[in-house]
Amino acid sequence: MDYVSTEDYVSPFDERRRTAEPLAPRPAALDGARVALLDINQRRGDEFLDRIEELLQARGATTERFVKQIFSKPAAPEIVRRIANRGDLVVEGLAD
Amino acid sequence: MSVAAPEFTLASVSGGSLRLAELQADAPTLLLFVSEECPTCTLTLRRLAPVLPELVAAGLTVAAVFEDPLEVAARVARRTGFTATVLSEPAPYEVSRAYELVSLPTAVLVDRSGQQISRVVGWDSEALAELLSVSLSDEAPRRKPGCAAKNTYDADSLRALDSGGFDELEEMFERGWTDGLPVIPPTPARVETMLGGHDPGELLGEMPPAMAQVTLERVAACAVLAGCRPEYFPVLVAAVQASLEPAFNVGGQAVTTQPVGQVVVVNGPVRDAIGLNGSTGALGPGWRANMTIGRALRLVISLTGGGFPGRLDRSALGNPGKIGLCFAEDGEVTTWEPLHVERGHDAGRSVVTVLGADAPLSVSDHRSTSPDELARVLGEAAAATWSPNWWPLGGTSLFVLCPEHARSFAEWGWSKQRLREAMFEGVRRPAASLRWGETTPQVLAASDDQLIPKWSAPEDIVIVVAGGEAGRFSAVFGPCLGMEAEPISKEVPWIT
Repeated sequence: MDYVSTEDYVSPFDERRRTAEPLAPRPAALDGARVALLDINQRRGDEFLDRIEELLQARGATTERFVKQIFSKPAAPEIVRRIANRGDLVVEGLAD
Repeated sequence: MSVAAPEFTLASVSGGSLRLAELQADAPTLLLFVSEECPTCTLTLRRLAPVLPELVAAGLTVAAVFEDPLEVAARVARRTGFTATVLSEPAPYEVSRAYELVSLPTAVLVDRSGQQISRVVGWDSEALAELLSVSLSDEAPRRKPGCAAKNTYDADSLRALDSGGFDELEEMFERGWTDGLPVIPPTPARVETMLGGHDPGELLGEMPPAMAQVTLERVAACAVLAGCRPEYFPVLVAAVQASLEPAFNVGGQAVTTQPVGQVVVVNGPVRDAIGLNGSTGALGPGWRANMTIGRALRLVISLTGGGFPGRLDRSALGNPGKIGLCFAEDGEVTTWEPLHVERGHDAGRSVVTVLGADAPLSVSDHRSTSPDELARVLGEAAAATWSPNWWPLGGTSLFVLCPEHARSFAEWGWSKQRLREAMFEGVRRPAASLRWGETTPQVLAASDDQLIPKWSAPEDIVIVVAGGEAGRFSAVFGPCLGMEAEPISKEVPWIT
């Protein structure tokens, strides 16, 4: 006996199953960590990151700032690559 | 019990119809008569679903015969995980009558010679396990009576059962394949017709935010859902292609808290070929091509692309144009260059232009007596769009001029470009007057008396002509800002 499909409609969705990316291990401490601070270029996001940067540096982290060209588009691949290569952690500043 | 099993021919959810003899193919066969409306039937289907592979391996043919329409049978089978053959018996249920059914579910075992050798009525796990020589779940209930078989209903009760296509429409809502309005179910046959022979697997691109692969087949499914006719499909394809251009930033538009929707403007011969309205009521309802093409593009964005309101689409208010907004430009009202020619296409080509925009604001002017006056009225209507204090906008304003306004400008000797420049020059405010509430960095940086324009450049003003012959009502759409979302034009890839 053939097993029949009950899918009698064509789906408008991309039905590919995607596996979730596992989270990177959480750091045990911030002391000595390299933290990338990504400003998405939304207004006042820099103020938020300024304060985060102060707090991180006070805990011994090294920080580096990055800025997206515009908040409403994905970060340029070059920025993503630089963050991935030079940072242990990343903080993204969403603001308005 | 040894009575010949009556022959039948019934529709199958896998397409076509099946005769009992074909189904049997010299194998013992279990016929399971069921109906969606009977809870004991759905219980039985669910409980038997896990043992189907074992039954098949033992050489048994299994078929559920639903006393329901085909689409209902398919839906119940999917929900219960019942993966064997599924048949649909129409009213007045002559097959059920031939099998002398009294209640559902009834399991009838037919041997390879076509004799009914045993039956179990209702859910009875012990009796079914013995009948089928399998272990069934011990889970309660182990016995449960069913419901009356529909062949036992009187004529009035049968008529009351006729629910038309309602269940199938509800199925679409249950699946979430909708924008909140009823849709046309995208059956394989309808989608194939929509595709018109084009490759269903052709990839148009990836639609954010889900980064879904947008194939022609999925676009066609959305076109069916929206109610498009097949001849609209190439216009929709062009709109999807335009939306997928990176410079349109559909990903930003799809998820923003802004109210932005996607406005589709169509130029060229395809307008008349498919009956797109650019005349009376062009921005409103009444024309199938307008309503369904705009809606289908929104379904591609919100379903295929994952930008569904309230989920990844975080628009605070939305706007009615997000249901879909498509109209044709009436390029014959004046000698002005229509939008697609302004954007570099030959006049004889059919072109779709997509723009990110908020809802339209109507602008009434029945009394202006000069082009400067009318240009100022139209331009000032845009002053409050986005925000009364947001100068310059830094984005595109789409103006739709009604024929009477457009004709007046043309008679006064004004071109579209002159009107554009007049609005750009005429709509300005001293910076000091804009320095309250939220305003732009340009306003904050300017001297008090510096005049700030509403637009950064005349090119940010897009003008098209559409609307009814009578009535001096034009419109300006609110902009989509912060997206660097440029209007994008694409030629219609084919015309059927």
